[in-house]
Formats: sequence, C-alpha cells, structure tokens
Amino acid sequence: MTKTLLIGLDGATFTVLQPMLDGTCDEGVVMPFLAGMIKGGYSANLRSTNHPLTPPAWTSVCTGRTPGHHGIYDFVRFEDMGNEMFFTLYDARDIRTETLWHVAGREDKTVVSLNFPMMAPPEQVNGSLVPGFVSWKHLRRNTYPDTLFDRIAAIEGFDPKELSWDFERESQIGEAMPDDELYSWVANHLPRDKQWYNIGHALLSEDNPDLFALMLDGTDKIQHQAWHVLDPEIWDTDVPESRRKVRELVVEYFRQVDGYLAGLHAAAGDDCHMVIVSDHGFTGSDKVVRVNKYLESMGYLKYRTHDGSDAAKRRDMANFANLDWETSRAFCPTPSSNGIVIRKQSTKNPNGVAEDEYEWFRDKLIADLLAMTDPDTGEKVITQVLKREDAFPGEAMENAPDLTLILCDHGFVSVRNLEPQVVTRPTPIGTHHPDGIFIMSGPGVAAKRGDEMSIVDTTAIVSHAMGMDIPEEFEGSVPGDLYSAEWLKDHPVQVAGHTDAQAAPKASSNDETEISGDQREEMLAQLRLLGYLED
Amino acid sequence: MNKDSIQDQVISTLKDFITDWGLDADITPSTTLVEDLEFDSIDVIQFTVELEKTFGNRKLGFQELLMKDGRYVDDLSVSEFAVFLTGKLTTA
Repeated sequence: MTKTLLIGLDGATFTVLQPMLDGTCDEGVVMPFLAGMIKGGYSANLRSTNHPLTPPAWTSVCTGRTPGHHGIYDFVRFEDMGNEMFFTLYDARDIRTETLWHVAGREDKTVVSLNFPMMAPPEQVNGSLVPGFVSWKHLRRNTYPDTLFDRIAAIEGFDPKELSWDFERESQIGEAMPDDELYSWVANHLPRDKQWYNIGHALLSEDNPDLFALMLDGTDKIQHQAWHVLDPEIWDTDVPESRRKVRELVVEYFRQVDGYLAGLHAAAGDDCHMVIVSDHGFTGSDKVVRVNKYLESMGYLKYRTHDGSDAAKRRDMANFANLDWETSRAFCPTPSSNGIVIRKQSTKNPNGVAEDEYEWFRDKLIADLLAMTDPDTGEKVITQVLKREDAFPGEAMENAPDLTLILCDHGFVSVRNLEPQVVTRPTPIGTHHPDGIFIMSGPGVAAKRGDEMSIVDTTAIVSHAMGMDIPEEFEGSVPGDLYSAEWLKDHPVQVAGHTDAQAAPKASSNDETEISGDQREEMLAQLRLLGYLED
Repeated sequence: MNKDSIQDQVISTLKDFITDWGLDADITPSTTLVEDLEFDSIDVIQFTVELEKTFGNRKLGFQELLMKDGRYVDDLSVSEFAVFLTGKLTTA
C-alpha cells in the first residue's frame, strides 16, 4: 500500500481555510475532512521561499533546496545581449539539484508525481510523472513513461483540454472582471482539478506507489481573481446576487477539494502519512506599483521609444520590461519576479555599472527604492529590499535578481509604461503571502499546532515518512515535535547520504552554458511567436 | 534522402504531432499549419523541435524558415518544411 501522500494546494492559506474548517463562515463547515485531519494531526504555518512565487517555491518542495541552489526564480528568465534582452521560459532543464522523485527512485521507491510546475520536459522516474503547466496539445510528449498518456486517456471522463494549462485563460489573472465573467472564469477551474483527481485516484489505486504526489492549483487561480469574495475581512453578505453566486461557486470548489483529499486518503488506506502543503499563502493587494516607471523618474532606465503603432502599444502593455537597452542600468524584468536587475558593464553593455561602482550603485538604488511612496497617502510602498546574497545564497545565486522587493501589501510590481507610479485599486486582488500551510496526519503524528516551518522542511519530512534517510544537502529538517516520542524511537530521523548532482534535470539536459547564436535566434523566435515580443 | 522521402517524414511527424488534437484533417504537401491545423505560435515551435528529433536530433536553424525579410511568417505548408529540410539535409 502507498505509505506517503504529498498533496500540494497551490497558494492555500489558513486565512481562507479557517472559517471553512471551523464553520464560522456563512456556509458552515465546508471542509470536514481537512478539519478532521487538523484536529487529529499536526499543522503549522509554512514559510515560503524568500520570493513566494510558484516556480521557485514548488521547485523547493520538489528538491528540498532553496532557489539559490536549485536555480529557479521566476516563470521567465532572460539573456542580456547588451542592446537586446531575450526572454524565455524556465523549465525542468534549469533545475540544478536532484528532485525528490529521483532520490526516491535511487532508493528503489516508486513514485507518482502529478501537476507540479517546472517538471517539463519530464525526467525519468521510477514510476509515473505528468508535469503541470503544459498545454493539452503537448501533454502526450511530456508524460513519463511514454505509455502513460494512453493509460490516463482511458480513464472515464478524461479530457485533456479540461486538464491542462490554458495560457490564454491564466493570462487574465489580475484583470478586473464583472461578476458574470468571473463566475465563468472560476467555473472553468472546477473540472480541471477534478481531472487531476481522477488521474491521481486511478494511479494511486492501481500502482500503489511508495510516494504519491499531486498538486492542485485551482486554489491559487481562484484566490487571485476572487479574493474579494474569499477574504473573511472583506466578504460582506450585502452584495448583489451576481456576486453571491460567485461566492457560492468558489465555496463549492473548496468543498470539492475536501472531497478529493478524502478520496485520496481512502484510496491510500488509514495507515498512510498524508502531507498537505502550499507553496505560499495569500493576502489582498490594493496597490499597483509601477516600479520601472519610478526607476525611469530616478534616471535608472529609459523606456523604448514609442512610435504610437499598435505593436508599440502592445509592447508597452506586455508583462516584460520593454526598455531602451542601450542606456538602462537597472530594471525590473517581469512583474512576477519582484526583482531588480543591475546591468553590469561589459563589452556588449558598455553603459552598464562598472565592477568598482557596483556596491555604491546598489546601495543608492536600495535607498531610492525604499523611498518610493504613494503620493495620495505618503505611505512607503516598498517595505524591504533583499540583496541576492541574503535572499538566495548558493551556487545558482548569479541567476537571481540583484535585489528582491517586498511591497507593503505583498503585491507584485507592474513593469508597464503607465502613469501614475502608484495606483490604489477599488477592490483588492489576491496576491501571494509568504505564510502558507502545512498539515500532516498518519501513524505517530502528534495532534498539535506547531511552530512556523520552512517550505524545504516538507521534503525532509516526506523522505523520512517514506523510510528513507534525509540526504545531507536537503536544507530542511523534521520538526522535533512532529511525531510522538514513541514513534520517533522506532523511526529515528537520520541525515545520511547525498543527493546526486549529476542526476539533476539540468545536468542531464543537452543545454550548453553559453547559448549559441542559433539558440538565441530560436529563443527570440519563440517569444515573438508567443506574442511576448513584437517585430 | 531526397525531397519525397523527407516530405513523407514531415507528414508522418506531423500526423503523430496532432494525434490528440481531434482534427479530421487529411495531411498533404499543401496542408498549412495555422490555417488548416489550427496551430498556435507555441505549437509551431514545438513542431520544429519534433522535426529536429526526427532528422538526427540536431539544430536545423528553423528561424531561417520562420522569418522572412525580418518578420515572422504567418503560416507554413508541409511542402515548405520539406523544401527547407531538403536544403539543410543535403548540404549538411
């Protein structure tokens, strides 16, 4: 029988869950299974990666390493060519450390891994792997083993279009929607997680893997767009019927998730360890902070000249910095990065910051960023600026932004060429908060609320629960009060052995360190075709 | 390899590529990716990767086919891929 279940709930937060667990919301107890799990098991706040974003945070869960080691910082990475900036997408081939799935395989443990981001193209595992964030059209080529797609396609009700990532739909996150449009948008997410549950339940029941891992991401998507009907501090029952219907549907989504958790637990059996984690928490954001516009006003960057054409307008509205790369010295590349990149002087970038002025330049930049205020309130909009050696120490640190920003409301910045620099939204939207959730039940697990944990603790906990030693490179640990003393006596936590750097997805890919001219052209072509860049 | 055999392989690769797309399309040399097979831009890139795997798992410089006069082409036919590949594979 399967011994360990690792269930990811993207963006789950006790802020939203608690009323649905204790029945203090209008709908009463919405998630009875999860409530029972918490009552009889261990729960804690789970601190995310220093920048609480889906790709770095889930990669930390999947590898037991922080971003400075695994090397994933954002959805998008870029190559600074001096007079041009090439943006492309991070994928599994950028992960520099061995995954938990692979570590388990080396210990002859079988694994099912479903819907975790950054897992495409899939690595070979001792079991089955279906990555998340893949379009339905390319799902067959991105599943492992290559016979798996036909197997899951035979599951009753399977619909790859419902299952897979819809780039167009998800790109609408952050856009204001009227209630009827929001209702339809939310409704499209319910069948997606149902599809993942169906696949998960089938593979769990038929294969009995030693580790079953499934991530459900409707929580994140729905909280982004429907925060105003979820946050107990904001939700007001005195709203139009159209908004009440949105609330009913969102609550129904959480009710269904609770059913999926119960179904998976039943399929695994009562003697399993079930670990539920989120990659980050959630909160409300009411500020639009146009950080590149601010940096422009401070002389750090220039936007690309706008010729008034439709293409130029689209470039300005894209979620990629669209700048004059000949002169810009510091910039934020994407909203999701919340990062500031300092462009260093080189032969291809002669106007960059010289090595000997870097520290001075960075200190001045930090001071300027911390001075950015909302002109309407005088409030500072950037509360912390993290240096990369503090936020992301490790061998992959050079790929991190020089600075990482934490905004006053934990929101994401805007890189668009729009005025004013700071805007207050009429209705808050959902944004990521560093405090997520950890919930665990199973044999020997203590019934208590624990102290705050780190997201990398989850990988150590899962390894131990599977009966494996915890590799020395894993950065997390098993909390001393997670299990009863009796259980720990018979199941001691042992840190021993190592991860295999040569088994990291990046090590086994054919990527060269220095990309070739052909590859650069291909990256550019890809992004132009994707609509990210215009001719 | 001659152009006919390369074209046959392009068609075969394309048929595999769209297996799950639910299209009722008869693929011929004049079939176009965007107009006839509903390709999105990302699908075009993925298809060039599949062709590179089919023809020796190496970079074939598809950007030369995808760009014309500094702009990206709107659509491509099977025969245009075959002609391009014939030129690349016979001069390699």
